[in-house]
Amino acid sequence: MTNINITKEEIAAVFPKVAEIMASALGCEVEEVKADSSLIEDLGAESIDFLDIVFRLERTFKVKIPRGKIVEAARGDLLAAQFEQGGTVTDAGLARLKSYLSEVPADRFKSPLPVAEIPRLFTVETFCAVVIRQQREAAACLSGQPA
Amino acid sequence: MMNGHFLAFSFVDRITALDLGRRIHGHYIIPAGLAEFPVVLVGEAVGQLAAWAAMAALEFNARPVAGLAASVNFSAPVLPGQKLELMASLEKLDNEAVAYHGRAEVDGQTVIELRDCVGPMLPVEEFDDPQSLRSRFALLCQAGATPGAFGGVEPLVLDEVSNEEGRCVRATLHVPVQASFFADHFPRRPVLPGTLLLNSTLELVSTLAAGLPAPSHGRPWVLRDITDVKLRAFTPPGGTLKMEARLSQISTEAAFVNVEARDGKRLVGGARMRLAPENSA
Repeated sequence: MTNINITKEEIAAVFPKVAEIMASALGCEVEEVKADSSLIEDLGAESIDFLDIVFRLERTFKVKIPRGKIVEAARGDLLAAQFEQGGTVTDAGLARLKSYLSEVPADRFKSPLPVAEIPRLFTVETFCAVVIRQQREAAACLSGQPA
Repeated sequence: MMNGHFLAFSFVDRITALDLGRRIHGHYIIPAGLAEFPVVLVGEAVGQLAAWAAMAALEFNARPVAGLAASVNFSAPVLPGQKLELMASLEKLDNEAVAYHGRAEVDGQTVIELRDCVGPMLPVEEFDDPQSLRSRFALLCQAGATPGAFGGVEPLVLDEVSNEEGRCVRATLHVPVQASFFADHFPRRPVLPGTLLLNSTLELVSTLAAGLPAPSHGRPWVLRDITDVKLRAFTPPGGTLKMEARLSQISTEAAFVNVEARDGKRLVGGARMRLAPENSA
């Protein structure tokens, strides 16, 4: 499954480089990095690794990836209080996450979902999609058109 | 001040220029009485200077702790008595992380350069007293600290476990329960400085290098740069780490060695080191 509005071809185009970056940042073999690998569950990523990966992606793809970008984008126009309450993602928030992280297998979304555990959902393809969206945004900024 | 805070593991004597949250310059005089000053501590000095810039910009609510460096390049050794001119530029700073690069010079010559470093910003109060840090920062920006406080670090004990000559060396690192540097790194939460962990891996690399075929022209292998440095977890006093240095690639002009430290199965830190013949680029 691919992200809404992002084609399989686009994912395939960036995946090899993203996989190489993940392997280098996480100290594993590139063959172990699959598109649907969970960074935390399958590849053993820790919080410092996410910082590392984001900075490497920024340098490699010449894009800016603001921290918290994935959750912020998934939340969309939902108010923070509509997205989460008391550190737990609301039903509405969970629906937004499932829609935005369409590449994540449905059985990985547990309910209730603590906000702190959202990164456990992120797969390699999640970051491929982030790169593609940020590339589109940068291109749109240059052309003056909306992304 | 007698407990070692700002004495036992502090490597900025004075801040000479500051563009808040962007650039910082300072200096550190390596105490003349030391027998040696490990080159990794020059990197520590640059990192500490960047940390002052980051902490000041965030009003001492957060501080960078450990993290990663894409590359650390060593151009020349340093000697006790020399004055290190330190400089760092912050590329990005928020409550979560600081990204910076920096370097140290001696007499106008770069001795070490750090590129693409990232430090996670953690709550200062977990590690230190914010007011003490503010006072120290004010001192560094004005008169400066009295040089010469650093008296060296206690050697860390490495027990060699195995040596597959020229291929892989493994050892156990016993982190002391008590050491002077813990009082400064950090007063409220003592942890093994990442640079000292790196220094221990250099010992392993040195053992490994002794078993490598000699490089071109028979010159000895020396450390030229370290890339992909990452510290992923804290090691408290009394901890035990499994260390490994493994040759990954070799030619007559360069040898690449991967190093790692593990607490049980958990990877605590790692890096890739490039050795080159002495006096080569």
